[in-house]
Amino acid sequence: MPDILLQGLTKTYGKGAAPAVDGVSLTVPHGEFLCLLGPSGCGKTTILRMIAGIEHATGGTILMDGEAVDSVDQARFVPPERRRVGLVFQNYALWPHMTVARNVDFGLRLQNVSPAEREARCRDVMTKLKIADYAERYPAQLSGGQQQRVALARMLAINPDVLLLDEPLSNLDAALRLEMRAELRRIHETFGTTIIFVSHDQWEAMTLASTIAVMDRGRLQQVGSPDEIYARPANRFVAEFIGNPRINMVNLADTPARAGESVAAHLAARLPQAAGASVCGIRPEEIRLVPEVSGDALCVTVAGIMPTGGSWVIELAHGADRLFFSTQSRPKVKPGERIGCLLPDEALHLFDAEGRRLAIPGYGLCEAA
Amino acid sequence: MVHALEPTARHPAPLQRLARMVAVMRHEPALAIGAVLTLAFAYLIVAPVVSILLQAVVVQPGDSARLHQGEGAFTLYYLARAFASRMSGILLWGPLVHTLTIAAGTVALSVSLGVVLAWLVNRTDLVGRGWFATALVVPFMLPTWTFALAWTTIFKNGVVGGQPGWLQAMGFATPNWLAYGTLPIIVILVLHYTPLVVLIVGNALHRLDVQMEECARILGAGPRMIAFSIVLPLVRPALLSAALLIFADCIGEFAVPYILGLPVNYDTLSTGLYRALSSRQTGVAAVLAGAIMIMGVVTLMIDLRMMREARRFVTVGGKGGLQRRQSLGRLRHLAALLPAAVVLIGVALPLLTLFLSTVMILPGRFTPDNFTLDFWIGSNLHTVALRNGILLTPEFWAAAWNTVRIVGIAAAISGTLGLLVGYAVLRSPVRLIGQVLRQITFLPYLVPGIAFAAAFLSLFAVSRGPIPALYGTPFILILALVAENMPFASRSGIAAMTQLGREPEEAARVAGAGFLTRMRRIVIPIQAGPLATAILLPFISGIKGVSLFVILAVPATDVLTTYSLRLLDYNYDQAANAVVLMIALIAWLGTVLIQRICGTGLARGLES
Ligand SMILES: Nc1ncnc2c1ncn2[C@@H]1O[C@H](COP(=O)(O)OP(=O)(O)OP(=O)(O)O)[C@@H](O)[C@H]1O
Ligand SMILES: [Mg+2]
Repeated sequence: MPDILLQGLTKTYGKGAAPAVDGVSLTVPHGEFLCLLGPSGCGKTTILRMIAGIEHATGGTILMDGEAVDSVDQARFVPPERRRVGLVFQNYALWPHMTVARNVDFGLRLQNVSPAEREARCRDVMTKLKIADYAERYPAQLSGGQQQRVALARMLAINPDVLLLDEPLSNLDAALRLEMRAELRRIHETFGTTIIFVSHDQWEAMTLASTIAVMDRGRLQQVGSPDEIYARPANRFVAEFIGNPRINMVNLADTPARAGESVAAHLAARLPQAAGASVCGIRPEEIRLVPEVSGDALCVTVAGIMPTGGSWVIELAHGADRLFFSTQSRPKVKPGERIGCLLPDEALHLFDAEGRRLAIPGYGLCEAA
Repeated sequence: MVHALEPTARHPAPLQRLARMVAVMRHEPALAIGAVLTLAFAYLIVAPVVSILLQAVVVQPGDSARLHQGEGAFTLYYLARAFASRMSGILLWGPLVHTLTIAAGTVALSVSLGVVLAWLVNRTDLVGRGWFATALVVPFMLPTWTFALAWTTIFKNGVVGGQPGWLQAMGFATPNWLAYGTLPIIVILVLHYTPLVVLIVGNALHRLDVQMEECARILGAGPRMIAFSIVLPLVRPALLSAALLIFADCIGEFAVPYILGLPVNYDTLSTGLYRALSSRQTGVAAVLAGAIMIMGVVTLMIDLRMMREARRFVTVGGKGGLQRRQSLGRLRHLAALLPAAVVLIGVALPLLTLFLSTVMILPGRFTPDNFTLDFWIGSNLHTVALRNGILLTPEFWAAAWNTVRIVGIAAAISGTLGLLVGYAVLRSPVRLIGQVLRQITFLPYLVPGIAFAAAFLSLFAVSRGPIPALYGTPFILILALVAENMPFASRSGIAAMTQLGREPEEAARVAGAGFLTRMRRIVIPIQAGPLATAILLPFISGIKGVSLFVILAVPATDVLTTYSLRLLDYNYDQAANAVVLMIALIAWLGTVLIQRICGTGLARGLES
């Protein structure tokens, strides 16, 4: 039985405003580790708040364990205090007048847990999150990262069925972030809690989530495993949003007369069967460099080499067009050098004029690197 | 497995929308609270205001024979009488000119004086800056009529009966212009309101980001240039807001012109209103009340407009940092004479005068045999009534207890309601309720206390529907005080709730806390400081208040202010002044308590 079901979920703040969340439909099975990924302002926080119940939908339905907790059509609304979800706020929202320990055991007190058990559970959670030393401090006396962990501990203590995390790791340093990531994964595995977390850090999403939902301007763009999202982006937005360095996008529509003068013309000549394609994308690491210009290789000049710590990004110029190529091995080319570059058919992602992915046999079949 | 479904866009029918709204709103207590508060304030605030405005245009009881119209019929008689009759000079125009003169004079003088003092205290290396910062605020904490009574103690002349003033007793005849009327009233109000300017402007200077000044200095601007082209424009919003606040307060001021004007028939709008009420000319009183309200509304509109312009300077809320102080050089001692003089004239002199007057048998005679503590603690005195010193008189203690009880209950209620208003305004999902509440609770600010009291009297004196007649009970006083306090209480409640934000409460909801738990464990504890201020400030102003009590209190509900005014009427000047000193003492103690609880919260509270 699915745990959380969103059906056409919509939220509009105030009349006439563009919807912050626009017809999002999504199934989150029990025990899922889902990441909502998208640029700033795309409605991620709003979705979390609606699932928690502190915001109500203006359209659509939210079902939890088959029960409608928020349904515009059925006029149902279950308030947050009865939903058994935990929400960690983007800016923590710790209670400033309570110590860390009191913040953490607040929820348990409400559940009438015996003092001994309460004490034990709080200890346990605080130890796991490495905040036991600060138990008697007030939130104002903690660093941002410590506050974030208190916010997490506060929700973990009540052992919710669903844990909603709004950018839970954004304020931690790199080392602590790795550690907390492992901790989150462990919590997920041990308790089997459904976790929905929000991020605009794609790397974090890729490494942590079992499923990623990519959003843009309130709409769901694609839902799938990290591999799927990377290797088969459903549209142009996803292709451009995921991947670092960014995917190379070539606009096929403006093809000049003579081939060989632009990348678009080079590709257009090779893609006779894909008449509907208007944009073609190729990821930087899928490009292959060849020493000399042979039959279907593109003739390019090395315009620049940027080391990015263990890998390199090389800027290739072809006429006025630029392509970025990335490699894990130290490049042997020099700036100004003329070489050939191959754009393999199976690495080409084709999109139509509306930006939708075109499924054409033979193209865009690459697995994630 | 996860999969995306097709979006389902649909438009629900109106009935369905309503059902949906009910389902959601059922869990929003802010809405219910807002609705209940709106109804309550409609009754407590809007109804009295409307009723008094109506009185200006309908025939009042007792006038029907003269006007040949039935009671309650529409008439323009009162308006005509006030604005365009033989009497209108005395009834309206004279008092209006007096009121405006006093208000304008007070604003001009107190702002000029206050800015200089604020600059000296906040921005220079003046001697004793820290001490002056505290001492300069004290006059604002004393009731205005403390000064008025001190003034009469010294300058009273033979025009009115009773004990003469000190100067008169020593053989100097004080002219009327010095003893009564415009001059003393303005002097006293300036003394009272200058601290407000010091507080508000000082606060603004404090928040001013010094980096802006330093930047100008780096660009080569001299101190004078910086003062006039950087600091002054940035402080101007605070300055204007202080000026308008004082202007509005002066228009409604009752106690000072009551003491210093009434004996020589010098009327302002508010004393004129009082006189009209006590001579049962309710229709004319209503016209005067309307005139005062209109002036209040106009002032407020100007204030709002300026506030909107001030929003453009949001940068003023800088972090501060190291304050650079202007060095006054050798002048730092000399310059201290100015604040010292203000403290002397505004605090020491009046309090000392009042105190001396309570230990002297005959005014103005400084011989040892003339001094006595009898008026405080004596017993079996040779007077007609009041045969014991004030501290041994049961009526005094009864009045003191009444004051603390009535004003305390009212302050606690208004502080709590203020917080609830803040809650409803910020949390109510229906925007309209928030806006209505905001406006209604601010309405009493436009209505001078005396007019408000009159309205209350006319509305609650007789039983209406389920509400019994309240006149003569403490309830009418409590209700009137609560209504009168709402502008401040609701403002501070809204400010506090804005600062809190919604997330601490939302986090508690998610953790499983219901409404009452959230209130008890999250909202109220976090808001304890602002709540204490929202209770204590109205408490102090209630203790000092005169106008409501003068109209609404009866001997059974005697409070300290009415008690002292009555003593004054019977020429027990020493006892009256002793009571006033006790009031000042309570007000001052309350202020100290506030400063303790919330540090600089006072200045911020007054500004909002
Ligand atoms: N209370 C509100 N009133 C009006 N508009 C709002 C409100 N809350 C959010 N919005 C708008 O809704 C949109 C989505 O906001 P949301 O907070 O969900 O974004 P987000 O994806 O969480 O962004 P970020 O990554 O920056 O946190 C934004 O355009 C925002 O301006
Ligand atoms: Mg967000």
